[in-house]
Amino acid sequence: MLLLLLGAGFILWTLIVNAGVVNLFIALPIDLDLIIVFIGLLLVLVAMTILTLQQGWERLRHKSVEQARNEAFAEHHRFLRRLDHELKNPLTAIRVGISNLRETCTLEGQQQVLTSMEMQTMRLSRLVTDLRKLAEIETLPLEDTPFDLREVLEETVVLVQERLEQNQRQLSLVLPSPGSVPVVGDRDLLLVAIHNLIDNAFKFSRPEDRIELRAFHDDNSVLIQVSDTGPGILAADAPLVWEELYRGQNTEGIPGSGLGLALVQMIVKRSHGEVSLESQPGQGTTVTIRLPAA
Amino acid sequence: MRAKPRILIVDDEVAITSNLSPLLERAGFDVIIAVDGNQGLRLVQEQTPDLIVLDVLMPRLNGREMLRTLRHQGNWTPVILLTQVGDSSERTMALWEGADDYLNKPFDPYELIARIQAVLRRVRPGTPPLSSARRIGDGRLVLDRTARRVWLNSQELSLTPKAIAILEYLMTHADELISRERLLNTVWGWDYSIGGRVIDTRIAELRKALQDDPAEPRYIVTIPGEGYRYIGAVNPIP
Repeated sequence: MLLLLLGAGFILWTLIVNAGVVNLFIALPIDLDLIIVFIGLLLVLVAMTILTLQQGWERLRHKSVEQARNEAFAEHHRFLRRLDHELKNPLTAIRVGISNLRETCTLEGQQQVLTSMEMQTMRLSRLVTDLRKLAEIETLPLEDTPFDLREVLEETVVLVQERLEQNQRQLSLVLPSPGSVPVVGDRDLLLVAIHNLIDNAFKFSRPEDRIELRAFHDDNSVLIQVSDTGPGILAADAPLVWEELYRGQNTEGIPGSGLGLALVQMIVKRSHGEVSLESQPGQGTTVTIRLPAA
Repeated sequence: MRAKPRILIVDDEVAITSNLSPLLERAGFDVIIAVDGNQGLRLVQEQTPDLIVLDVLMPRLNGREMLRTLRHQGNWTPVILLTQVGDSSERTMALWEGADDYLNKPFDPYELIARIQAVLRRVRPGTPPLSSARRIGDGRLVLDRTARRVWLNSQELSLTPKAIAILEYLMTHADELISRERLLNTVWGWDYSIGGRVIDTRIAELRKALQDDPAEPRYIVTIPGEGYRYIGAVNPIP
């Protein structure tokens, strides 16, 4: 940048001198002027080259960070696939084996053992299936169609209302003034994501707590927020809640697989959006989904 | 069909076949086992099973190759493929590969038995399965599975892609009780906590379009607390 200014200064100075503004005071021979202009041009050229190289390098660096992130993502995906493949056959064999034993074993005590084994195997099966679905959503061809977010949010409220009311949670829906809220994406999957967030707000709150579902425009985005007045998430847990199978320290006794938020993040990522979480221990949590407006 | 239907299980996992075999035998089937597609093809020729339970990933000749070879030979022995049909590309592939049903591992063994019984009830020996027919229906209601279009009394219906997918699954599994979870799993590809309400909404959409009165249904019956059953006649339509 300095070189560019210096070069431009040289040229300007020489032009001014030649224009006769100051040549009454400084009479320079013409060939010296040419040399100065030449040096000036050379400096400008060098500066521009350096600038271009610098921008190129920045782009390259950015690209390689992006590439590294994508590679890590792909590797993670491959790992989930391998895990699924390696677990599903033994799990099938165990499930069939337990069914065999259950049909042939007549001892009361052993039936109880079998019931317990069956339940744990089903739990594992569920986990394998859920991990597989998570991996699938990464690559699933999505229905990228325009739809009205208002309808989806209202539908989600209908889906959860009864359960929330039965458990003394107050749910309110805050939407922008009447009219549609157009977004583009996979309607059903987005409904799953929002439903998951409300489900979380329900699970991690107490009777009489409030849950609010909001949507509003912000520049070229549409923001969807799910807030609750629950006990919040510990600061140490907050960055980790998006990871598969992560369960916060204060979640003991609360049902869940630890895959809900990973699923939400995946759906939002596939919808070209971003998701973030803010939590104040003791005051509540807000999750924000930012989607490009249609 | 024999008094005891003969089931061929083709899977290279001995831990699965050796456990599945006695379970299916107790359920009233005669069971034979192959460890890969090549042996499977040989056993189909020698033992003429009534149904094949076919795994996909196997050494030498895999399940999909074995199925293709069978169908290419004009053999329409019903096949339950042990994989899933989730997204639309897989559904299109499933249409031409000609399996009669799909079940993903790890499965509930009793679900497999129920599927075997359902497929055996449904199939007409020696004819291509409904699941590989392009157009199906009863003449009044017609579903074109490739074009994803539906007609009622020659009038085309305006249906969402999900409603068409539900109708397709119900029609290709006519007379079978289909749980909401199974529909969610097959049509949506997931069955998260969202529950059956999403399904109910689409079924209502279908019923309205089909002019099907839930109190006196011609096509879709609700089995309270369990799911749905398609009761209309379903035939391949040329």
